Amino acid sequence: MQTDTICALASGPANGAVAIVRLSGPQALEILNRTVARARAWEPRRQTFCTLLDGAEVLDKALVTYFAAPHSFTGQDVVEFAIHGSPYIKGRLLELLCAYGARPARRGEFSERAFLNGKLDLVEAQGICDVIAAGNKAAHQVAMNQLGGKLSARLQEIKTHLTELLAQIEVRLDDVDEEMTPLTDDFITTRTREVIHHLKTLADTFCVGKLIKDGLKVALVGVPNSGKSSLLNALVGFDRAIVTDTAGTTRDTVEETLDVNGQKIILTDTAGIREHAVDIAEQEGMHRSVRAMEKADVIVWVTDGSLGVSEAEKALWAQIQSQHKRTIVVRNKTDKTPVLLDLPAEVKGAQVIDVSCKTGQGVDTLKAALTQELNAAQSEDGLLISNLRHYEALVKAQTELEEGLLKLDQGGEVIAEHIRGALSHLKELIGEVTPDEILGVIFSSFCMGK
Amino acid sequence: MFVCPDRYEVIVIGGGHAGCEAALAAAKLGARTLLLTQSLDTIAQMSCNPSIGGIAKGQIVREIDALGGAMGRVTDISSLHYHLLNTGKGPAVHSPRVQCDKKIYQFTFKHFLEKQLNLDIMQDEAAQVCTDDKGVCGVRTVRDTFYHTRSVILTTGTFLAGTIHIGTVMTPGGRYNDMPSNALSKNLREELKLNIARFKTGTPMRINARNLEFDKFRPQPSDNPPWTMSHFTDLDEIAHKNFGQCYITHTTLKTDKILRDNFMRSALYGGNIHSQGPRYCPSVEDKIKKFPEVTSHPLFLEPEGFYTEEYYIQGFSTSMPEDVQRALIASVPGLEKCSITRPGYAVEYDYSDPKDLFPSLQHKAVPGLFLAGQINGTTGYEEAGGQGLIAGINAAHYVQGKEPFVLRRDEAYIGVLIDDLVNKGVNEPYRMFTSRAEYRILLRNDNADLRLTPYGLKLGLVDAKYQKPFENYKHLCEDLCEGKTPKADLDLGPWRAENAQRYADVQHKYAGYFERNKKDAQKLADLDNIKIPAGFDPAAVRGLLFESAQKLREVQPQTLGQASRIPGVTPADMQLLAIHIERFRKLKNAQKTH
Repeated sequence: MQTDTICALASGPANGAVAIVRLSGPQALEILNRTVARARAWEPRRQTFCTLLDGAEVLDKALVTYFAAPHSFTGQDVVEFAIHGSPYIKGRLLELLCAYGARPARRGEFSERAFLNGKLDLVEAQGICDVIAAGNKAAHQVAMNQLGGKLSARLQEIKTHLTELLAQIEVRLDDVDEEMTPLTDDFITTRTREVIHHLKTLADTFCVGKLIKDGLKVALVGVPNSGKSSLLNALVGFDRAIVTDTAGTTRDTVEETLDVNGQKIILTDTAGIREHAVDIAEQEGMHRSVRAMEKADVIVWVTDGSLGVSEAEKALWAQIQSQHKRTIVVRNKTDKTPVLLDLPAEVKGAQVIDVSCKTGQGVDTLKAALTQELNAAQSEDGLLISNLRHYEALVKAQTELEEGLLKLDQGGEVIAEHIRGALSHLKELIGEVTPDEILGVIFSSFCMGK
Repeated sequence: MFVCPDRYEVIVIGGGHAGCEAALAAAKLGARTLLLTQSLDTIAQMSCNPSIGGIAKGQIVREIDALGGAMGRVTDISSLHYHLLNTGKGPAVHSPRVQCDKKIYQFTFKHFLEKQLNLDIMQDEAAQVCTDDKGVCGVRTVRDTFYHTRSVILTTGTFLAGTIHIGTVMTPGGRYNDMPSNALSKNLREELKLNIARFKTGTPMRINARNLEFDKFRPQPSDNPPWTMSHFTDLDEIAHKNFGQCYITHTTLKTDKILRDNFMRSALYGGNIHSQGPRYCPSVEDKIKKFPEVTSHPLFLEPEGFYTEEYYIQGFSTSMPEDVQRALIASVPGLEKCSITRPGYAVEYDYSDPKDLFPSLQHKAVPGLFLAGQINGTTGYEEAGGQGLIAGINAAHYVQGKEPFVLRRDEAYIGVLIDDLVNKGVNEPYRMFTSRAEYRILLRNDNADLRLTPYGLKLGLVDAKYQKPFENYKHLCEDLCEGKTPKADLDLGPWRAENAQRYADVQHKYAGYFERNKKDAQKLADLDNIKIPAGFDPAAVRGLLFESAQKLREVQPQTLGQASRIPGVTPADMQLLAIHIERFRKLKNAQKTH
């Protein structure tokens, strides 16, 4: 039962200055050595300051403590990482540990191991049980609630697709009369790709997968001269935390990566281009803004607070609204006029922040509003790890199917192994797909002999 | 009442495919055994198709054989046609199937039983399983004879309150022309209070081949080179045989129309049959109803024996009235001129909810009572034989005070079968498929001996003289897998070097998958090693989901692994169970020391 190595945030989901990530199991030491810049013989129960690496990239500087079995909380080999408390770093480290062979722990699992290894007494055991039971109920509740939701609809779609594909393959393996026409590689590939696509789309909706890993995408839009560039500079420069300065994929936008309290924010701006091509028609500017908005998680509309709202801006606002995304309105240049002009009636209701790029007034408020988006995404159901577990499951299932596609020539039973593998990764999300369900599909679609 | 002075330890009720394996196994393991059957002339009768094996079923036969059961040997002795199914697909799903001479099959099996030490056979019908406060204490027959015994294995097949349907005509019967066991059905329902429900199955008509137009069929010759079903059969033993031939034909639009015109006259759709039949072996009227877009279904003609012109028509199972059956035959290319010798029919019978059984196949409520075969809701000779073997072993172990013998899901299809039955129950007659096995890559027909013969030898079901040759064969397989040059001139007994080579090739093909299956299986085995201690009520664990608690109470799993396989039990439920089992154990220990 305890043969695998588990990891989780030990310090709770709230964002403090320092976070503890715990790793427990037979592989703990091996995984630790892959995570740090320099593998070494670890002295138990001694804090070591070291650099955590993801490949060549520095993830964080951390205090690492190794506890050798059985002298640890769980009675197994345990490693504790004291890292900086940014959700981005926490998420990255947990993902890294999973990539090296750990799996996200279930609720109460560390304590469960501790108890089974004689580290906790009977009274404490009851406490753990209450925690697990609460999680069980909550997860059950979530599963029930999801039944009507969008997420559930997509999960059901994945389940149906995979079950049907597996049934198509299985029925041929169990075709007693050997009369069924074989499936073509094309058919299997197309159907598998469909499922992979669904899995990927779903994985991308998870905050850990998307927001923490890739950062929050923010589009700065506004008509020329509204002050987008200066806002960008204020956000980036003020913080002295520019990570990279890369041209966007569409070549007509500029992306700035910003680290706000350890959280990654990617600002997309059309301003840079505007300066190089002054004579580009406003029409063209609009196209660029739309493209940037389509890719964004949050839209920031920058308007000059010292001027009234122009017809062009009204048209832009309509475009913004059609995106159905969270929008923040920035009334810029508050230093110019003490009394700001009113926004059009239809803008009311959006979050409005008054900013002066010159004095820096309001910039922090804007940053807080942006990071709030990340925090909100994470604290959904209060647990970072539960999201990570799902994300891991989706990615693993996807990998499994990709591998299956490489083995098409090996026969149905081999592809079936991969689909079964994918289904077992998804167990927690879509429930177990039992042979009875597969047979159900088979019997309802095929006439099987004795 | 005559009280038989012989005191038996195991009494097997029923002489079908489950009963025969059960009786042989119990007797071989040293239990004083009696087989009770209505008629000695129908022992091991193949009531339906004249073949042994098939997809996933062939693997079961190989497993029975590897463990020391008789089905494989009897098959080779009576064989008239060999066909390895699924050879167009990977070796994990290759399945042996052998057509047998029905009469030779049953008389060979009867002869095996007669020769078996510790085993008596008596032609009589059991009427009552008698119990006292310790469990089973005896069996009373319809002749009012009483036999003492400490354990009973029920292998009643389709005979418990059996009803036969041909069209709207209903007659009592366990098989056509054989009386049902009504007294025993009443005893099980009313006195032993088993949870009895009804299933339905069916069989096609048999025809006389004298006027068949063979040129209208696609012939299916026996495999060449020949192979054997049993690991213990010498290839020379079957090589001299004059093999028979099977033929393939199909239904037509005319068949379709006849069925449509007469739907309401079939027992199935006319309203006489209410019990669930198997979805995978549908009657031909079922096929037309459920798959109207398919206008032609394959039919397979299989000879019933060497010394008969009777053929079995696989795929033509029906409960239509006799006149419709005649018309149906006339609608099939090549069969137009032939005549029916026995009509097809449907049969309804009692089965007992298999969720009431431990994985040893012992009933939870009646100590010493074991159930095997169709009474557990399965169909098929092979599924029955596999259960019979396990029930026979465990009944002997029960009276000898030994631990039950249980195969895991990663060890055998027999393990999958019994685990499914006791944990999930049945809602239609259960037939084995390879898709039911999550460790399909491990459970192959080419490695049944390597998987299970060590158990057979250890139990004492496989003759000790095979110990050395088996070990030699095993080493040969291992050497070939590792690419070493094998030792020459090893005594392999009935095992053959070319099979070792084939095994090594298959292992090579599945290398990564085999390891992965093994690893997954190990996790499950670890859970199965955690026994749920006596006195621990898993359903009383606080915090379990209501649905899980209910299911746990129903199934009463014996290990944590078994609990994990009950549908609907969540990983969190498992965590809670693990903690509570440990807690329970600690509390028990604390009490002991005080």
